[in-house]
Amino acid sequence: MFKQLRFKIEKRKHVSSLVQLISLSAAIILSVLITGLLMYVGKVNIGAGFIALFDGAFGSWKACVETLLKATPLILTGLATVIAFRARIWNIGQESQLYFGAIMAYLAYTQFIFLPPIILIPIIILFAIIGGAICGFIPAMIKAKFAVDEIITTIMMNYIVTYFLSLLLSTVWKDPNHYYEQSPTILEKFRFPILLENNRLHLGFILAIIATVIIFLLISKTPLGYEIKAMGLNPIAAKFKGINLIKTMVIVMMISGALSGLAGAGELFGVIFRLKSTISLGYGYTGIIIAMLAGLEPLAVVPVAILFGGLLNGSFLLQTTTNIPSSLVYVIQAIVLLFFLSARAISNYRLRIVANDQ
Amino acid sequence: MINNFLQAAIIINILGSMISIATPILFAAMGELVAERSGVMNMGLEGTMLTAAFVGFMVVEKTGSLFFGICFASMAGGFVSLILAVMTISLGVDQIITGLTLNLLASGGTLFWFRMDYSQTSLEKTPLIEFLKSINIPFLSDIPYLGKIIFSHNLLTYLAFLLVPIFWFFLYKTSYGLRIRSLGENPKVADMTGLSVNKNRYIAVVIGGLMAGLGGAFVSIGSVERFFPNMTAGKGWLAIVIVIAGNWRPSRILLATLIFAFLDAFQLQVQSIGVHFPYQILLALPYIAAIIILISGRAHSEAPESLGISYQRE
Repeated sequence: MFKQLRFKIEKRKHVSSLVQLISLSAAIILSVLITGLLMYVGKVNIGAGFIALFDGAFGSWKACVETLLKATPLILTGLATVIAFRARIWNIGQESQLYFGAIMAYLAYTQFIFLPPIILIPIIILFAIIGGAICGFIPAMIKAKFAVDEIITTIMMNYIVTYFLSLLLSTVWKDPNHYYEQSPTILEKFRFPILLENNRLHLGFILAIIATVIIFLLISKTPLGYEIKAMGLNPIAAKFKGINLIKTMVIVMMISGALSGLAGAGELFGVIFRLKSTISLGYGYTGIIIAMLAGLEPLAVVPVAILFGGLLNGSFLLQTTTNIPSSLVYVIQAIVLLFFLSARAISNYRLRIVANDQ
Repeated sequence: MINNFLQAAIIINILGSMISIATPILFAAMGELVAERSGVMNMGLEGTMLTAAFVGFMVVEKTGSLFFGICFASMAGGFVSLILAVMTISLGVDQIITGLTLNLLASGGTLFWFRMDYSQTSLEKTPLIEFLKSINIPFLSDIPYLGKIIFSHNLLTYLAFLLVPIFWFFLYKTSYGLRIRSLGENPKVADMTGLSVNKNRYIAVVIGGLMAGLGGAFVSIGSVERFFPNMTAGKGWLAIVIVIAGNWRPSRILLATLIFAFLDAFQLQVQSIGVHFPYQILLALPYIAAIIILISGRAHSEAPESLGISYQRE
């Protein structure tokens, strides 16, 4: 009697980090292909296009430093996503938390402008952290008290804070010399100190790296980190282990918000020097993509953020040298994530040849 | 006397624009209702609508045919939701993450394509299209007050409101509707009775996408002559809120949509008659209202039991 052979798809018991890495590589290769296709559609020489993309990102020492500058807010919003998603808290409000951090930082700047920079700059940073944390606290409390999903409230907060900022910039904080909704420029002495000569890389980058180490230690070494991981794996079991889910959720949302708030201060006092509605080029949303690609590992956020920072700068050069709009970068980012998620999901399964029992 | 006339005109204006503002949200919310009743939460609704709005605009701009524009917009919506269906139903990727990814892809993709096609032109000089004109229904539109409020809108608006009883009938009075609802409540039982869970969920999600596509079509070619990047401005998210606020029931969803639309119409009117009030607060009103409605409406939720959970046979 011959047994018929057939294919069976079954779920893997364990997904190794190698599979994760292969998924990421496959996603990147596919995304590069799509990028090439988009360049082709845009009637641009594909080779020249990729060279421009690379040159803008890592082509020179100056480009590399600029890439680190662009990566700074991305590291922070990426970490903000990591800590929340690790606990399976769907904070999508990084954008609002970033802006509210910037708003609070600017408030500190206008109120304590008589202080010397050495005192005022730490106060500014503190206010940004508090601002972001407040913005994370509100949806967390709404969830705690009324069991309303944080996804919707954090997204609604993104819209609400945008209008709030616009309100501030058209009234109390408006630069009277300008038509546009923006604040006056930040005085030079209160800007974040520059790290290297003749470059723009500022204090914020150091803060982002410190934040990475802190979040890494927090998740891997502290009781709170244990609670976060337990909550993410199985909230019901976590509850039986005696973890106060609500308390942990509120704390996580505040930390997550604080990280994004810090990103807002960095952009305002380190790069843009005016409060306006274009401080963030969607850094909050990009942070979500970065965190996912980093497999929600804090240390992996840094290289992925640098890669994405490079992608941003590369796309600017691409726009100036060819006529490919720089918004290409948003397409690439989303496609990488889409492919990555699919590849990882597919690699969760394996194909096995089994004997058919019938 | 003149004052009375003015007041009546303002009220007619507000209620009339309420009906048209409600249109895209109603489409999307009705579609989302079907998907969620089957157990799949389409968090990519915003991106689905945006893609459809863009495709509709492009098709009308290239072909000049509004009919094609609406058809292709709806199909684009169906296509985006098909991607969502493949990822969430077949591959079992988290529904929230998939939805977010599609939103980002839609927002980036439409922006990129728009800039690519019109990179030489400034935003003010982007091409204009003839958008869908309103149809005054004979006789009915002559009814004082009501005629102007209800019977002088475009085809999509009439369709959206017509869909409410149709969807109600479909979900509650047909065996197919019952099947879809059973998938959202207990897919295991549905599976055991021989119903293909995944196939029917695919159908429900794609129906939702086609509807969101019609909503997207209304946002662009149904109401204005140009396309703006990210012009859906959170309407997809509001539709998701409305499904929750409407407690997953067609009639309540209609009511919730009208409340939101009224707020929006009210703020537009306040702005246009030049009342001195910070307009940003008015603009933020629907989003604040969304949170308040969610807070007050959670007590007796009729959410489908298995909403958001992908189904795998053991």
